[in-house]
Amino acid sequence: MIRLENVSYSYPDGTPALRNINMGIKKGEYIGIIGKNGSGKSTLALHLNGLLRPQKGKVMVRGMNTGDFSKLQVIRKIVGIVFQNPETQFVGRTVEEDLAFGPENLCLPPLEIRRRIDRALAEIELEKYRYHSPKALSGGQGQCVALAGVLAMEPECLVFDEVTSMLDPESGKNVLERVKRLHEKGKTVVHITHNLEELHAADRIIVIDRGRILLEGKPENVLSDPSLLDLGLTPPSLIELAEHLKKHGVVIPWDKTSSPSSFAEEICRLFLKT
Amino acid sequence: MQEPVFSYIPGKSFLHTLDPRTKLTAVMLLGILAFRTESFFGIGILFAFFVALTSFSGLPARVFLRAVRPMVLFIIFIFLAQLFFTEGKVLTSFWILHPSLEGLQNGFRLSARFILLLLFAALMTASTDPSAITCGIERMLRPLPLRWLGVNSFELATMMNLSIAFLPLLFERVERTKAAQASRGMYFGKNPFHSVPALAIPLIRGVIRDAEELALAMESRGYQGTRRTSMHELLMQRRDWISLLALVLFAALLLRF
Ligand SMILES: Nc1ncnc2c1ncn2[C@@H]1O[C@H](COP(=O)(O)OP(=O)(O)O)[C@@H](O)[C@H]1O
Ligand SMILES: [Mg+2]
Repeated sequence: MIRLENVSYSYPDGTPALRNINMGIKKGEYIGIIGKNGSGKSTLALHLNGLLRPQKGKVMVRGMNTGDFSKLQVIRKIVGIVFQNPETQFVGRTVEEDLAFGPENLCLPPLEIRRRIDRALAEIELEKYRYHSPKALSGGQGQCVALAGVLAMEPECLVFDEVTSMLDPESGKNVLERVKRLHEKGKTVVHITHNLEELHAADRIIVIDRGRILLEGKPENVLSDPSLLDLGLTPPSLIELAEHLKKHGVVIPWDKTSSPSSFAEEICRLFLKT
Repeated sequence: MQEPVFSYIPGKSFLHTLDPRTKLTAVMLLGILAFRTESFFGIGILFAFFVALTSFSGLPARVFLRAVRPMVLFIIFIFLAQLFFTEGKVLTSFWILHPSLEGLQNGFRLSARFILLLLFAALMTASTDPSAITCGIERMLRPLPLRWLGVNSFELATMMNLSIAFLPLLFERVERTKAAQASRGMYFGKNPFHSVPALAIPLIRGVIRDAEELALAMESRGYQGTRRTSMHELLMQRRDWISLLALVLFAALLLRF
């Protein structure tokens, strides 16, 4: 549903941020994008709904070019972005008012706006904070409200740009659970992060470095790829462990490396019960 | 930190259910009325009217104290200026000051007028959701040819909403910057010429970066600065028209005195 063809972009000050990116995102897919700080991940995210437009190449969203100004509103209704910092995404004095912002821009009638607020609040389970200021919420709750603000526009595709990097691990996990659940409900998900642990459930992972796509493939191949270390990215510890075990002839299947408990069960099965 | 600009207190009273446009018009009308009423009797009636409305609204008195308190010095100043600088029958004389009877009357009148204005405005802001007020303002401004000024009513309303939402955040940021600078050994002593630049530069830099991120998030959610709807259903109902009519009659009667 989204296609990038030979996309290059430099910031006005001359920093080249994207160089000749080619990629496609299919409907219902869960794509992970990783790369270290400054590799161009956020710049890529901003291209997905036309907040930035490529200097070379083009970005097509369901057949519409993001360079076509008359299509921008429709494109932003299809692709929503949740950003890194919850504090700078709030536009409303209350949670309710904030969630109304997107639907108001879509010129929906008041009744429909309220219906969408109800639904988005139910999705993040924060109904009791409806009339609170979003600034009074914790970081994790704030990020959920930012997510709900995007959900209220009912997009098909959700882009998450390092949404957990300003959260404590516990609320980060909570937000990731919601991301996973939304994908199960049929949303297309683009999940940008520099934490490889977050991407175990992705359908496909794209590694970018200095504005280029370096590696692309299934998580089981990408996450154990030795070239990640050269980029300064640490593979998930369980996968690293599985790789070491493999060298000693012990093979742990991929799907058992998703959590410590399944990993432990597999080891016990291999060594105790047989 | 309490919200400094508006102090909306949700409720279900008659005043709460009125359309924001009705209340905006009423405050303007009552403001004009307060400054047009010369007699103390008329001003007294207006105070009585305020008390009657307040008892309808179920709003606590602290709302109104909070509205008047920041202006107390200004009101005292006006009162004293009128008292001492109005020509007329001298009451007593201290030193070079000669308070006059006319001055006393003018002073009371003028300060009462300002207090009335503040009270009625507070009554509106306390009984109306701020975003409904801006929505009402937007609807009232929409027919005006604002584009000659380079803006439209939708942009104005969004700007007002953002200011209301971000003022508390700005105060918070001042505190945070102050703490950050203090931890680097900045000393915020008595000399403001020393501390202001050290505070202002990181503050402005932070605010600009926030504003850029905010602008991106707004645009991403479809904001274009053009026509948009509102979650508030603004509908002038019969009670709105009746209230306005009653108010106009009240004003006409009062001005005849
Ligand atoms: N607004 C900007 N102006 C100029 N250069 C920028 C701007 N934003 C990002 N850059 C530069 O573009 C490159 C890519 O940045 P970014 O997309 O934010 O990377 P990431 O999100 O992966 O950390 C970096 O070198 C960064 O310094
Ligand atoms: Mg980034």
